[in-house]
Amino acid sequence: MATTDKEVKELIKREYEHGFVTEIEADTFEPGLNEDVIRRLSAIKQEPEFMLEWRLKAYRRWLEMEEPDWAHVGYPKIDYNSISYYSAPKRKEDMPQSLDEVDPELLKTYEKLGIPLHEREKLAGVAVDAVFDSVSVATTFKEPLAKAGVIFCSISEAVRDYPELVQKYLGSVVPAGDNFFAGLNAAAFSDGTFVYVPKGVRCPMELSTYFRINAANTGQFERTLIIADEGSYVSYLEGCTAPMRDENQLHAAVVELVAMDDAQIKYSTVQNWYPGDEEGKGGIFNFVTKRGTCLGRNSKISWTQVETGSAVTWKYPSCILRGDNSVGEFYSVALTNNYQQADTGTKMIHLGKNTSSTIISKGISAGRSSNAYRGLVKFQPGAEGARNFTQCDSLLIGDQCGAHTFPYIESRNKSAIVEHEATTSKVSDEQMFLCRQRGIDPEQAVSMIVNGFCKEVFKELPMEFAVEAGKLLEVSLEGSVG
Amino acid sequence: MKSAPTLSSAFLKPAGESLPQPLLALRKERGKALVDMPLPTRKTENWKYSSRHLKLSDELANSLPAGGATTDAAAGGYRIVIRNGVVDASTSVLPQVEGLSVQRFADLTDEDAAELARSLDSTLDTRATQMARLNSARFEDGLLIRLKPDTVVDQPLFVIHEVTATAAGSAFPRIYVDAGRHSGMTLVEEFLSSGDESAMVDAVTEFTLADGARITGVRLVAEGQNIQHIGATGVRQLRSSRFESHCVGFGGPLRRHDLRVRLEGEGAECKLNGVVVTQDKQHYDNHTCIDHMVPNCNSEETYRNIAADESHAVFNGRIHIHKDAQKSNANMNNKNLLLSTGAEIDTKPELEIYADDVKCAHGATIGQLDDTSLFYLVSRGIARREASVLLTMAFINELVAQIPVEQVRNSANERLNQFFDDAFREA
Repeated sequence: MATTDKEVKELIKREYEHGFVTEIEADTFEPGLNEDVIRRLSAIKQEPEFMLEWRLKAYRRWLEMEEPDWAHVGYPKIDYNSISYYSAPKRKEDMPQSLDEVDPELLKTYEKLGIPLHEREKLAGVAVDAVFDSVSVATTFKEPLAKAGVIFCSISEAVRDYPELVQKYLGSVVPAGDNFFAGLNAAAFSDGTFVYVPKGVRCPMELSTYFRINAANTGQFERTLIIADEGSYVSYLEGCTAPMRDENQLHAAVVELVAMDDAQIKYSTVQNWYPGDEEGKGGIFNFVTKRGTCLGRNSKISWTQVETGSAVTWKYPSCILRGDNSVGEFYSVALTNNYQQADTGTKMIHLGKNTSSTIISKGISAGRSSNAYRGLVKFQPGAEGARNFTQCDSLLIGDQCGAHTFPYIESRNKSAIVEHEATTSKVSDEQMFLCRQRGIDPEQAVSMIVNGFCKEVFKELPMEFAVEAGKLLEVSLEGSVG
Repeated sequence: MKSAPTLSSAFLKPAGESLPQPLLALRKERGKALVDMPLPTRKTENWKYSSRHLKLSDELANSLPAGGATTDAAAGGYRIVIRNGVVDASTSVLPQVEGLSVQRFADLTDEDAAELARSLDSTLDTRATQMARLNSARFEDGLLIRLKPDTVVDQPLFVIHEVTATAAGSAFPRIYVDAGRHSGMTLVEEFLSSGDESAMVDAVTEFTLADGARITGVRLVAEGQNIQHIGATGVRQLRSSRFESHCVGFGGPLRRHDLRVRLEGEGAECKLNGVVVTQDKQHYDNHTCIDHMVPNCNSEETYRNIAADESHAVFNGRIHIHKDAQKSNANMNNKNLLLSTGAEIDTKPELEIYADDVKCAHGATIGQLDDTSLFYLVSRGIARREASVLLTMAFINELVAQIPVEQVRNSANERLNQFFDDAFREA
């Protein structure tokens, strides 16, 4: 194996390819967070009174909260007053009415990222809402979506145009006081995406949001709210990138999903925030609260995530299975390399009868990284006949990394059944030998083996994303074997 | 924010001044570290599920008086009675085996006591076992068991931990086993009680195994429903040693056992088995932690819990593979049977791994009796209740049958039968 290791070690290290900075004039708040900043933010967004009240209440609550320290990650203390809470590309006029009015620099940025922002790329068939630093810059395919009755817009617009829906559901799944980072987000969220799929509508295309942090010293606090009314279906994709900077940047998002009777939401994420350089310098702190509630009978929420970026990830997409027969799913691939740290997993809270959930988590650690799965499966007394299956596998590449599993399983119903399995292994010499013997070079071999390891999760991703995810893994793994 | 409650200073006044000076000094020093120690709450990770069962009052801080009635514990073999934390020489049957020395802490020379004082607590993770730390500040007596190299004790040594709860108070029994190279013995600890005032037992047992030593520890916890039990067992294993643990626990108002094994020498292996049954409003919490510190060690862990009525069983198993502990082999399995919807089972099988060439797996399940198996038995003319008992028994019998001491097996089975009678009374 010695020669193999050496060869692999020498493999080219492709750099983070989304690490460019876009030179764009931006309106940026001076760093710091206080009630005035929130008032200004709210005023810029022309928000109704209830929104400002909600933010201020959240802020006051947040001041009394403590930053959680239980996760298996270490990072320098964050000074929340050194971050700017609003940065928007400067525009001469009001919101652009069509893509032609969007700053060409911005469009170029998204082109570089390979996002089908332009409507002429109809083949891609994906409606995109792009969020640049703090604001949503463009939303495509509004018309065909509107025809189907689907509301797909930035959350700022939603607050103005559909206040009754926002007021009813915002914070209903992740309350402002839920946790430290969700509290911060509730007080300072700048933009995000809003989706409403009316009764019986199957959303005609995949919806997608692309997040990018561009400006220095800013944090991104977006908020996504998706409501699927009775019998509807929506598939939503999310991607993220950021420039390479030496200092750490904060990303504290909140995602709320609400599924009514017979509704289905599929939420896929490919997270590729800048992970920091080889020495672990810089990178994004990704502290995200994602939660969905299956309010109605027979509803289903499915989370699929591929986490390859961020210096520190703290993320637990969860499902509250309230409606009878509702289904929660969590498919995750988390890959960490160099000095990345990830503490991610899910929570499945079973409240309704015959609810079921599946958790498939694949952790891959390489370099000096640390990768933890942390999950909770909880059956309340009313969860008659509930069922959970959990499988979390870890793959270690190199002897300097760590892989951890912290599953919490709590059952209070005798008819509920939970099964949990976890294994840890490495890319075995036998597997490598088999591939090499057939003329496959070591890098390809590792990538094949890892892809095979993750297959169960990749097959849940929409096609375009599955391809991207596979590629991302290859890039992130380069130079890690040895 | 409301500050968390702290340990009452009443608990830091040890009784029993007859110990040798070095041990008294150790006790004092450990006591100092516990001043204003925050008591575990729901937010304390390792007491998350159990803190609500822990009920301390200043009355419990009293030391239970030595003396009192003798429980008729399993007879035969070598037997030592530790009553209310103090060794009762009069009812003990001490083994006369060459190479084995069993001494009370109180009888140690200053020199031996000084050496012991250096070793005490060395096997425990004192951060993780905050309540068991109280033992080190309060023990009034203890047993030092030393095995010379190549000494193999022919029969199991029974230690009967007896609590006579005729008044409210606590007992702090302590055992330290120092097993020399290639020595071997089986230590059986039985926890029993009499009297019906509320009392607490805070028991700590430590084992150090030199190269090639083979030690089996059997632990039967069957105290009364007025006794809160907090126990910690620490094990350090050197090269090619083998440690086996068999724990059988019956629920109570609070039952907690922390078992920690450190595999410090290559080729060491351990096997940890545990069975817990709880009924009514009882509680039982097992925390285990296996540290693979060096390469080429094996560990195997199997725990089974059964919770009936409104009881609450907790299992937290942790495997920690340290950096460079390559070729480690670790297997953990935890299965739970929830017999009633009022009951609660919480389990958390953890892995923490810092080496790549290892084989680690854990599995955990919580469920009920399998309908198909039940139907199979019922269709063959076995009454439903009896079939349920049979299946439940089968669930744990695999582990009970492995207990290497017949007397313990019998007494465990007797108590388990009683449990099944109660648990399936209406079924």
